[in-house]
Amino acid sequence: MKNKRFAIVLDTRKCIDCKACTVACKAENNVPLGRDNYRNWVDQGEVRGTYPHLGQTFTPGQCMHCANAPCDHVCPTGATGVNADGIVTVEEKKCIGCKYCMTACPYNARYYNEEIEAVDKCTFCAHRVYQGRLPACVETCPTKVRVFGDLNDTCSEVSLLVAKYPHRVVKPEMGTKPYLYYII
Amino acid sequence: MTAIAKRPGELLWFALLGAGVLIGAVSAVTVLIKGHAHVYNVTREIPWGILIATYVFFVVSSTGLCLVSSLGHVFGIEKFELIGRRAIILAIITLITGFGAIGMELNHPIRMGIYTILSPNFASPIWWMGTLYGLYLALLCGEFYFLMKGHHKGAFALGMIGFIAAISAHSNLGAVFGLLEARPYWHGSFLPIYFILSALVSGGALVALFVYFNHKFRGIDLPDHYQEFMVSLGKLQALFLTILIFFVIWKIIPGLYGQPPGKYEATMATLTGPLAFNFWFFEVLIGLLIPVTILLNRATRTPFGVMVAGLLSTAGIFFMRYDLVIAGQLVPMREGVDGLVNGLLTYTPSITELGIVIGAMAFCLLLYSIAEKFLYLGEQKH
Repeated sequence: MKNKRFAIVLDTRKCIDCKACTVACKAENNVPLGRDNYRNWVDQGEVRGTYPHLGQTFTPGQCMHCANAPCDHVCPTGATGVNADGIVTVEEKKCIGCKYCMTACPYNARYYNEEIEAVDKCTFCAHRVYQGRLPACVETCPTKVRVFGDLNDTCSEVSLLVAKYPHRVVKPEMGTKPYLYYII
Repeated sequence: MTAIAKRPGELLWFALLGAGVLIGAVSAVTVLIKGHAHVYNVTREIPWGILIATYVFFVVSSTGLCLVSSLGHVFGIEKFELIGRRAIILAIITLITGFGAIGMELNHPIRMGIYTILSPNFASPIWWMGTLYGLYLALLCGEFYFLMKGHHKGAFALGMIGFIAAISAHSNLGAVFGLLEARPYWHGSFLPIYFILSALVSGGALVALFVYFNHKFRGIDLPDHYQEFMVSLGKLQALFLTILIFFVIWKIIPGLYGQPPGKYEATMATLTGPLAFNFWFFEVLIGLLIPVTILLNRATRTPFGVMVAGLLSTAGIFFMRYDLVIAGQLVPMREGVDGLVNGLLTYTPSITELGIVIGAMAFCLLLYSIAEKFLYLGEQKH
């Protein structure tokens, strides 16, 4: 059987910047309080136009689960690893806290978690996904910005979305081959 | 053994260093009790702070001392043989101090000891950094042993391998930064090469300091051959510094030309932004221009002048390390990060971080002073 290849497709036009995804993620994954501690985020773009014709884009994001992950290359102890299904993981007990992965990630997707004593990041809620459930951020989103699924399944919703719509990835010039696809 | 004469000055010196070490120890204990996140000012966006800069400063010094001393007992420039023992013991001490500084920045130094061996990632420049510097430390210790025993062949052989290890370890340290594609200010082959050259400047400056102050503290006038050595060292330093000035210029130009994204903002942060005072005053004026002026002028290229130039370069180089480490992280990786000032992130070292830096410097000088007191580190008697 072919491996799964997990991905998230996002439609930023639907994002209302409610940050429910960030709250759900924090609760689901025991992310500590504090400015630096989050696994996912909503970036606010600059306000476009002049009053009364204004527009603004909100761009949710998280670890891009890159196919060519710089964090994986630089980790001196192999604490960072990549599963066969593409999920980039951190093995806590091996993390020495050198924070090299944090300087290597072009998306600033990682932070040091004082409670688990290791660098932490989005895992696509692997513990839920492996039980057939959706990641917390996907499940909670009121406007269904994020769609999660297996790109190796040609009939999955993510496969259909990337086939149907033109899409982009963030910082393609970094060569990281991210698996978060943005429709607009 | 030439013991330092019992003088109030000596007591004061050791008291001062003791106080510095105490500040460092209190800071280190604070970190252990409260945790890194509560006492360091490093953030998610700027995870490497002044302790990494301090680490780089010390290991660059170590490499530089090894390279300059190898001019004598490896490359056969006789004038440089007289500094061999002092240079190598100080190279060992600065390296250990550097390890201490990075040890305080790491969250889990013990896990490092275990998992760099059990679960190595050979693709990681930091894995190579630990391994190569570990090897380099062992070679320095062996080289020091042979130098103390007056075993020329042994010192030559280990000195030669140590020289290669020093260059490998140190250029690899440049690669720790240079292989990060996400950080355009660091990325590329410039840093590995630049680190080797700047190590020579660091090493030369420290040699000038220990030669001068060893005699000063013992109340001895510099013997003729040491005076000649200082003048030759001054000429060599002038050469190293002049080349380094061009390295600094060529670091800047590609950062400005065509305003390459990421690199341009970081370069401007050093030229006109938050690091501008550090750059222009400490790096350029104190670290490069004044020393090179002193050293190129025959009238000021005296042992005293060479020492002053060394002192100024050493101070300037500390800021060079700091600016390099911080500038590479000031440009945010994403738009919409909190707390940007003029589009850049901010970092100011915390009191605890500064305490550890002071402690590291005092610890290094204290160990060296103790070595001077108990070991004969002068030139070998033939």
